[in-house]
Amino acid sequence: MLARMTSLSILAAAVLAVAGTGPAVAEYPDKPITMVVGYAAGGGTDISARSLAPYIERYLGGGARILVENRPGAGGEIGFAAVSDAAPDGYTIGFVNTPNFLTIPIERKTRYKVEQFDLLANIVDDPGAFSVHADGPIKTLADLVAYAKANPNTVSVGTTGVGSDDHIAMLIFQKQTGTKLVHVPFPGAAAGRTALLGKHIMVGCMNIGEAMQYSQGQPLRTIGVMADKRWSLAPDVPTFAEQGLPITLSSLRGIAAPVGLPPAIRAKLVKAILDAARDPAFQAAAAQTFQPLRILDSAEYTAVLKQMDGDFRELWKTTPWSR
Amino acid sequence: MDILDNLVLGLTVALSLQNLALCFIGALVGTLIGVLPGLGPTATVAMLLPITFYLPPVGALIMLAGIFYGSQYGGSTTAILVNIPGESSSVVSCLDGHAMAMDGRAGSALAIAALASLFAGVVTTFVIAIAGPALAGVALMFGPAEYVALMVLGLVSATVLTHGSLTKGIAMVVLGILLGNVGTDVNSGQIRYAFGFPQLYDGIDFVPLAMGLFGLTEIVANLEQTQGRGVIASVINRLWPSREDARAAAPAAVRGTVLGILLGVLPGGGSTLASFAAYTLEKRVSSTPEKFGRGAVQGLAAPEAANNAAAQAGFIPMLSLGIPPNAIMALMIGAMTLHGIQPGPLVMTGQPELFWGMIVSMLIGNIILVVLNLPLIGLWVRLLKVPYDLLFPAILVFCCIGTYTLRSSTFDVAMMALFGVVGYVFRKLECEPAPLLLGFVLGPMLEENLQRALLLSQGDLAVFVTRPISGGLLAATVILLVLVLLPTVKRGRSEAFRE
Repeated sequence: MLARMTSLSILAAAVLAVAGTGPAVAEYPDKPITMVVGYAAGGGTDISARSLAPYIERYLGGGARILVENRPGAGGEIGFAAVSDAAPDGYTIGFVNTPNFLTIPIERKTRYKVEQFDLLANIVDDPGAFSVHADGPIKTLADLVAYAKANPNTVSVGTTGVGSDDHIAMLIFQKQTGTKLVHVPFPGAAAGRTALLGKHIMVGCMNIGEAMQYSQGQPLRTIGVMADKRWSLAPDVPTFAEQGLPITLSSLRGIAAPVGLPPAIRAKLVKAILDAARDPAFQAAAAQTFQPLRILDSAEYTAVLKQMDGDFRELWKTTPWSR
Repeated sequence: MDILDNLVLGLTVALSLQNLALCFIGALVGTLIGVLPGLGPTATVAMLLPITFYLPPVGALIMLAGIFYGSQYGGSTTAILVNIPGESSSVVSCLDGHAMAMDGRAGSALAIAALASLFAGVVTTFVIAIAGPALAGVALMFGPAEYVALMVLGLVSATVLTHGSLTKGIAMVVLGILLGNVGTDVNSGQIRYAFGFPQLYDGIDFVPLAMGLFGLTEIVANLEQTQGRGVIASVINRLWPSREDARAAAPAAVRGTVLGILLGVLPGGGSTLASFAAYTLEKRVSSTPEKFGRGAVQGLAAPEAANNAAAQAGFIPMLSLGIPPNAIMALMIGAMTLHGIQPGPLVMTGQPELFWGMIVSMLIGNIILVVLNLPLIGLWVRLLKVPYDLLFPAILVFCCIGTYTLRSSTFDVAMMALFGVVGYVFRKLECEPAPLLLGFVLGPMLEENLQRALLLSQGDLAVFVTRPISGGLLAATVILLVLVLLPTVKRGRSEAFRE
């Protein structure tokens, strides 16, 4: 009796499952989708997520809802883990940010593994930058190097956490210039910016998009961007290379889901994300909020991250950033 | 003259039919979520954020702001009636507010809370209009060292809240700090005190903690004291505050407002700290401190004024510098950014209609709230007449639903039950939970800023005394401690606080 009931219920479940796939995709999403951001509201990733979400909603159609949820802390790990821990049903996606997403598992035991993520699409490629308070004497990277050499261990650099792109940029800077700086981690770029405006830290290491957005009407001076060439929206900010320091480092911000999405749901989601990112209205909004876009599909994005992962593992051997 | 022009501009924006309607909706939704325990304003604002995308920026911000201060009103309603703080800033309102309700003065308590909040809201609006940009600079003066000193002062003054021994008060604050540090460390990513429970990796939430320690404990203690019949509030003799209540509440509300504005300008913990500080101050200046915790009107009016003033003063750094003092305002900044408005000094000059429209809408919103809430007092008070054997299961159900919906996690409900038991033990040991909650809220901020301050000073502790603001705050802490510890004062204190 028991055995028969069990087999019956298995059969019933199988029938339901088969029947379920068809309508489930047609109906997806039939409840709000959570989009996890591993950083505080008001930061660059948060703005990327919030500005893109309405367009993904539109391309998903059927009154789809996306709720952006901020889970800040530990350099983004708390937010990443929220995505990897979620069921792969298409109702939890999240932004993953390089290098943190790749570097944190290299430096310590984490609550997520990179393999647990299905990388859906990249949206933003935001190069790092150094900013200082406009009242200060420092106007160029050379000024900063000279000051740091004269005053070792006094130049405080605010970053978005241990192992963040900002932190790694600072370490590479130290190595190339032979200076000693003081690392001050913050839970997000917005908090670091506040400390910089209050002159509690000397240098804010944040992405160029964040720096340009924060310096609207504020006494901030951005003295260098870590890209191959100047950014069209910040033509006055010279690159690090122009100033004799060959540092290029940026933060890729893309969307990932827990691995194992039902294929039909995955296809629908990826298409909606890419269509949203290529929508001219979103692109205009992105320019207005200083987001340097670099749209990559899933295969390209996965390949770029694989390459970067190898590079960071090499770097770890020579410059372990968390020791 | 300028200010008058600006206020007139704000009035024309805020009084447009659409903005008036949005302000009303915001205030109404805010009151509702404030009254329902567990459903917090942050979650509501986050859920509504996509809708605001389709509204004009001014309207969107007016509505979100309405939800924010509306929830502050609603939160004190549950604190007064059933001893459940909906928000960390309404913890203190439980102490004397609920005592007043049990004493048959629930109507009076609700009216005083509403009117003190209105007063604070109106005054703060004018302060923002006159001195907003100047005050914004204060937020920037506070670096890591200053925050550490401020939190230490706040935590030390919290021990004054206790009736019993100072040692127990300090122990509760320390316990609160420890509970606040459960979870993943922001700086290093290390997981602490999680004992292998993944549900604890993100820390303990305020809601299960507060509902367990306050709400559940209250129910258990009530049932125990009355052999299961439950406490029925004394006969309600009047709905409105008596003349002497009003006279006692007025100066307390003024002091609370001043404290609220000062602390509210600082990002992080402003309104919670303000409500605790206002309570402490009232107890210090009162000639009858023994009445505190037994239904002292000042003990309700001052923190209610302070948390509302602080909540609104938080808009100063938000609008003029783009610094969000709390999660809700960070969401509002998100809403502004989505509309292509970068919060900062440019807003006030470039979009004066947005800045002043929002300021004036707060004034209108506060009036709407009082108009909305005063007629409801009769209804709320009737709630207390519901037989306790019907009321307490209802409260329990609401606590469970509220806690569950936070993260859709039964673990949180179990945590709330656990804290209910812990709270009962605390009550038997005569340990007050209010200082614990302040430690819980401020602990993580204290630690983060302590680490940062020491990084910046390269481990030199002198930074806390050599920086003027930080040194001044620490000096005030020492003076407070000496006052409490001095033998003569101590005798006075035990007389005062032992009842």
